[in-house]
Amino acid sequence: MPRWLKRYGDILLVFGAVGLLRLALPVPFVIHAVIFAIYTMAFSFLIGRLGLVSFGQPVYLSIGAYGTGIYLARFGTNPYAGLFVGVVVGILFSLLIGSLLLRLTGDYFALANLALCAVGFFFFQKALVSVTNGDTGLWYLARMSSTPILNLRQPNNVFVLALILAVLVWLLMKYIDSSVYGAACLAVKGNETKLQLLGYDTFGVKWLAFVLANATAALAGALYAIYFGFVSPASMELVRAPEVIVAALLGGAGTLYGPLLGAFLYIAMQDLVSTHVLYWELFVGIMVVLIMMGDEKGITTWLKPIFRSGWQLVSRRPKITRTP
Amino acid sequence: MAVSDLISTVIMGFAVAAVYFLLSMSLSLCFGVMRIVSLDQFVYYSVGAYMTYLVTAHQASFWSGLLVGVAVSCTLAWAIEETLFRRLYEKGTMFSMITSYGILLAGIGVIKYIWGLVPRPVMAPITGQVALLGTTLSLYRFVVIGLSALIYVGLQLFLEKTIVGKAIRAGIEDADKTEGLGIDIYKIFTVTFLISAALSALAGGLHAPLIMVEPEMGLKIMGTAFMIVIIGGLGSIKGTAVSSLLIGQVVAFGFLLWAPGAETAPFVIMLLVFLVRPRGLFGSAYLKR
Repeated sequence: MPRWLKRYGDILLVFGAVGLLRLALPVPFVIHAVIFAIYTMAFSFLIGRLGLVSFGQPVYLSIGAYGTGIYLARFGTNPYAGLFVGVVVGILFSLLIGSLLLRLTGDYFALANLALCAVGFFFFQKALVSVTNGDTGLWYLARMSSTPILNLRQPNNVFVLALILAVLVWLLMKYIDSSVYGAACLAVKGNETKLQLLGYDTFGVKWLAFVLANATAALAGALYAIYFGFVSPASMELVRAPEVIVAALLGGAGTLYGPLLGAFLYIAMQDLVSTHVLYWELFVGIMVVLIMMGDEKGITTWLKPIFRSGWQLVSRRPKITRTP
Repeated sequence: MAVSDLISTVIMGFAVAAVYFLLSMSLSLCFGVMRIVSLDQFVYYSVGAYMTYLVTAHQASFWSGLLVGVAVSCTLAWAIEETLFRRLYEKGTMFSMITSYGILLAGIGVIKYIWGLVPRPVMAPITGQVALLGTTLSLYRFVVIGLSALIYVGLQLFLEKTIVGKAIRAGIEDADKTEGLGIDIYKIFTVTFLISAALSALAGGLHAPLIMVEPEMGLKIMGTAFMIVIIGGLGSIKGTAVSSLLIGQVVAFGFLLWAPGAETAPFVIMLLVFLVRPRGLFGSAYLKR
């Protein structure tokens, strides 16, 4: 097996499988799931590597979405420029919020984010109504111009772009895992004081991670904005705050594949329930409670042995036995 | 601004603060003793409100509706605590938060199934008006304020004087050491959870005549309630009381001066408090977890 295949074989396998899913499943579902997977990867990085639990993730998603949306509805027409604006707005916003909120510890941080989400929803729904049109939202699908290579006015191309970006985000996460910075992040989770004693600026480590993760969330939001062609404050409702946490925990927080799997499963569950059941809240609520009875590792922990035995069955490698 | 406006705003602020106090007190107790973020308190809040609606719709007294709400909420809370929360005390805050979010979502689903999406009005039990310095004020607001103050005093007496209350306070300081004293900490947890549910149901029932009763009422009040708990300091009873008084006035004056300010100002205050005290006004750095 060539070295590059060994190194990147798994990513080819996983994202190839996602690409194949596109053929088997309806396009809206797959696009939604891939974008949601980007969002989940960002959160999984925060929770699994940094140990920072934020209950207000929708606010970062929606900041990206509104950055793109307001640009496309009021200023420009190029969706790629919109995407760029969304991510830049996300970076600036998380730089500001990070400098304010990262001084807090543990539960205070999580709940302050929850409050931020409530205030953000209010802001976009009522306070900035002249810019955002309140609950009606901004509609700009017809305004978006066609672009030469990947024309984002077609859902198929949005899927391709989302998949490429998901791969890039995934590679970034993998790169961070193998870098010194990734080790510093894990050390923040383990024992922040010890890392400070070693001379690291832990606030800087956390700030960078916070900005990275939330800029990625903003990217997911910007993709949503381009795909749907409209933005509304509904994406920022407090009810939606825990869904990304559930998806991340479902797949296993801090693992590389977990967020992908969790995002697909969560979106599938939500889609199935909300199309077939009138009072979807009840069912999603019960599912969430059942999922939470597990632990932080999620379902990948019990999927791994199954796949491993399956792999051994296929490859039929001789077992290494230790004989004295 | 006339003096009459000022007075009615202050009284409104106290009435809002009274409801916020009851609700955030229950959140604060849950966090303080069990170290759980209990979003399902908002289900008990809604149940309390819907029970008063149901009872008053059947021509029975508002106060009996309040009691029915408390009873139903406590039963529900007891069942949920026994089956679900027992398994979560050892895990992180995140797990209790998401599980209780699931309960909240399921509760909203059930409420929508039973009562539909239409907001329901609840008549105030006391329709009298009081003339005060040139304004007429609804007597019900004073009743809410008085009841809430009574509950605060009662709660303080319960926590200071009775042995169970002392055990609860010990649990807030350090649950492990309390268990080491031979106290069954899980019983204390159950008692605390039931008290919290009762407080939430009372908050819902008392709030019902001031607003409309609707399925998502719990979600609407969630942000502000949590901000109050954070500003006061997680697990601090005194802090919760002080910050709910503060936020009540801020919200009332916000509506008077600039409506969007009413919902944003608490957040700004929260950020300002954090700049000075990262653990809230009365939060202790020694709370263990």
